[in-house]
This record gives sequence, structure tokens and C-alpha cells, in this order.
Amino acid sequence: MTSTQLGAAGSEGLDSEEPHGLDETAFYREVRSFSFWFEAVEGYLEGRPHGYVPSTPDEELDPRRRERLITTLCNYCVGEAAALEGASGMVRLAPNHNSRIFMATQVADEARHLEVFLHRLGELGVTDPELEVRRRAHPSIVAFKHQLLELVDAGDWDAAVFALNVLLETLEFTVFRHHARTADVITSQILDGVVSDERRHLGFGENTLGHHLVGHPTDRTRLIEIKGHLDSLVMGALDGAYGDLGLHRGERPKLGRDYLQAVERLGILS
Amino acid sequence: MADFLSQYSIQRWLEMCPQGYLEDTVYGHAEGGSEPPELLDNEVLLESSIATTVQLIAGERCALAASSGLVNLAPDFASKRFLATQTLDEARHVEIFTQRLFDLGVAKEDLESTVDRYANPNLVRFAEILLEKVSDGDFIAGVVGQNIVLEGMAFTVFELLEATSRDLNPKFAQTLSGTIADERRHVGFGENRIGSLISEHPEKRGEIERMQQEMSYYMLATFADVFSDSGESVEEGRRVANDLAAERGGDPGDAAWHGADLGSASVEEIEGVLADTVLGEFRSRLGRIGIEYQSPSVPA
Repeated sequence: MTSTQLGAAGSEGLDSEEPHGLDETAFYREVRSFSFWFEAVEGYLEGRPHGYVPSTPDEELDPRRRERLITTLCNYCVGEAAALEGASGMVRLAPNHNSRIFMATQVADEARHLEVFLHRLGELGVTDPELEVRRRAHPSIVAFKHQLLELVDAGDWDAAVFALNVLLETLEFTVFRHHARTADVITSQILDGVVSDERRHLGFGENTLGHHLVGHPTDRTRLIEIKGHLDSLVMGALDGAYGDLGLHRGERPKLGRDYLQAVERLGILS
Repeated sequence: MADFLSQYSIQRWLEMCPQGYLEDTVYGHAEGGSEPPELLDNEVLLESSIATTVQLIAGERCALAASSGLVNLAPDFASKRFLATQTLDEARHVEIFTQRLFDLGVAKEDLESTVDRYANPNLVRFAEILLEKVSDGDFIAGVVGQNIVLEGMAFTVFELLEATSRDLNPKFAQTLSGTIADERRHVGFGENRIGSLISEHPEKRGEIERMQQEMSYYMLATFADVFSDSGESVEEGRRVANDLAAERGGDPGDAAWHGADLGSASVEEIEGVLADTVLGEFRSRLGRIGIEYQSPSVPA
């Protein structure tokens, strides 16, 4: 697809090809469009079927490391399935068409993540990935998925955006980024692509809730309560991830701290 | 099933759509494409184009809501992933048809009031029947309603609109070509995936047949409403096409569609060919998945 034409709506003095040169309404229309999504993903998906460059040699993993990677990827699949089902349910809840179209792009992103992780499991010799995912899923991430889908089923848009686009995306962003540094080359490339998507999803959550809370400051208390409730599940999921990734004891608190700081940095709850 | 579903993966979708027939397009058409001045400057054609585009938006909004709802209901990951691509396809359709309304001069702040004003109530009821199935968590009925009935109707209507726009409005015709390619994929998934589920759940047949009959009734009622109001715009469109052809020193050409000469057929004939074509498609597609097509009553 070609570059979208942004010039007409751009403010004087700003680069008219940059979304940030647009007024607020035009900005949202632009960054939540199919065209914007495609241009964003094109850069890091082009030439990477299944999330990595096909010529990349697959490292020989020792059996223990391979087992750990399979368990880790199975739990990533639970998180991505939660994100996929959550995001798809949220399309109907979105308060306007721009948000609805953005959520549709997120649905496709989450489905792609699920697909590339399942494909990687297949490459690692897992013959029935769906069964393996069920077998190896940690209770905390499964419980988080149920909680998220309950919020979606209840039609609670703000809480669902918070649980999915802030908490779950931050958890995944933190764990995937950490894992990408130590993973085998193919898994690392897959994770880098996924992290690029998560960044966009986080941006949507931060922006949507930030704007909402300006007009509805009392809703902050409710979101803090939800966070308090879900944090224990997130920490449980992180605990599971520690073991799967084979982290040393000294490194473990760092990942939890990274997650909490990442949520804090969004500034939604402060 | 696994092999067939591998043809509906995100990877395949990326290669076929954004990196395939949508490459080098903006809002579904070539960059720089615009609505023809003969349409924008003609009050009758402009209003008719706005009304038509609103029906497309209403249908695609329903498809977006339904396909996203079906992701959660799908029984396996592969179907969820396909429905995720369909969700994004439908969102793209909402976006490109909404953009067309803006290209036709509808102000952004008037979008919803324009949709409310022109959306046909029978089409809205058609959509509600489908969305009720999705809300009830009925995956099989939802996919039949969405991927066979709604998509089957959209596919045929888009083909008709594409045939009538090819000469006068290449920009809109190209936009429609991309959506037709999408709809073809959606209908294919519906047929392939649901056949096996229907044979596993034969008790669902009766309910699904009633849904198809009811949706078909409201589809025919929509066609009847739209065509009964379109005589003037069809005649005006033909006059403009003839004038343009005369200016270019040729004739308007033969726009034939399913045996009907779109340049001379009466509005009633075109409506009849459209209805017969859609219902014929329903009959053969439903037959392939083991559902017996039910003739709807004819709207008054």
C-alpha cells in the first residue's frame, strides 16, 4: 500500500507526512485506520513468513532447553488466545468506529501472534500444539484470561481496555522483550515482531484511558481496584515464566519490577 | 480439516491481501482515484450513490460485529485465526465505504445522521437476526448467517455494482473488486468449515433453515425498497453514460450481468435477476453444507 495522504490536515510548521502534524480528530482517524496498521506492520513482517527470516538457521537446542521453550511458548499461546478473544469481543463494545477499526487490527495482530507461536511449537516437534497448550498452561495465566473475558462479556469497555491493552500487553511486552535477549535466534526474531505490535496496543490503551480519565477522574479508583485484583494473577504468571525461562533467583524480582514500573510509567493510575 | 484451514492462516492472508491485491491502493483504489465529476455534479446520481453506500456501510458494520463475535465462539485456534482476518477485512470494508461517503461530500460530523437517514430498515432487521445468533453464542448458525447468507448477498450485490460502475466510475469499481475478493474467501471458509460441524450437529438444521428463510425475506424486502426508489437514478445514470460515450465518440458498451443487459433492462428486471442470483447462490452453497434451502415469502 502507498503512504497515506496526510498533508491536507497537517498543522503549519509540522511535517505534514507525520501523524503528529494532524489535529486530534484527524490523528485518531489516521492512527486507528487499516492503512496505518498495514504500513506499521509491513516494515517488520515483509519477508518474514511465520515471524522470522526463512534463511535463519535453527539452533540445535539441548533437550532441557527445548522443553523449557515449549512450556514457555505454550503459555504465550494462552496469553495470545486471551488477547485474541478479548480483542474480538471488544470490537462490539468500542464507543466509536475508529476504536472499532483499531480493535479489528489488534484482533488480526493477536491471531498472528498465536499463529507464529503455534508454528514455532510445530518446528520444535510438538505434534498437537492445542493439546500441549492445555497441558502446560499455568493456572494464573488461565485465570487471568477468564477474568479478562468476564469484563468483556459484562460489556465493560474501560475495564477491558485496562486489563487487555494495559495490564496483559505490559506483561507480554516485559516478558517477551526479556526473553528475546536470551532466546535462540528464530524465537528471538519472532518475539521482536510481536513486541512491535504490543507497543502499538499499549499506545492505544494508554491514550484511550488517559482521555477517558480526564473526563471521568472517579473511574480511576475502579481501575486501581481491578489492577489490585489482577496483579496477583500477573505476578503468578510471571512466577511461571521465571521457571520456564530458567531465570536465576537474583533476576526474578527484576521482571516483576519492570512490569510494575511499565504500568506506572503509563501514568494512567497516578 | 487442518490442511484446509492452513489456507486460511494469517500468513496466507498477509500474502494474498495486503501484500497482494491491496498493494498500492489507498482506501481500496489506486492512489489519486476520485469520484467522477459527472456523479458529483448530478444531484440525482449523488443522492443515489450516497444511499447505496450507506447500505454497504450498514451491511459491513453488521459483518464486523458478527465476525468479531464469532472469534470467541470458534471451537479451534485455526478457525479463530481465520475469523480474525475476516474481522480485519470487515473493518477495512467499513473504513473504505465510510471514506467513499466522505468522497461523495458527506461531512464527517454528518456521518451517523446520514447512515441513520438512509439505512434501510429491512436491512437493519436482516442484520439483527444474524447478530442475535452471535449474541446467543451459536457458532454454527452465526457462521451460516454471516459467511453464507450475508457474505453471499454482499458478494452478488458487489458484483452487480462493480459491473455498473466499471465504465462510469473506475475508482468505485476497483474498491468493489477488492471487497469481492475478500468476500469470496469468507464464503469459502463458511462452506468448508461448517459442513463438518453440521454433520456433527444435525439437530441444528431446522433452526438454521428458519434463520436463512427469515434473513432471505428481509434481504428481498431491502431489494424491493431500494429498487422501487431507483428508477430515476438508473435512467439518469444511463443518460450520463450515453452522453459520455457520445463525447468520446463511441457507444456506452454492453454491461451484461447474469444475462441482463444493464444498459436497457427495466429496474424490475434487474431486481429480479439480482434476487434470483443471490437465492440461487444460497441454494447451492447451503446444499453443499447439508442445509436445505428454504424459499422465503415474497415481501408485499
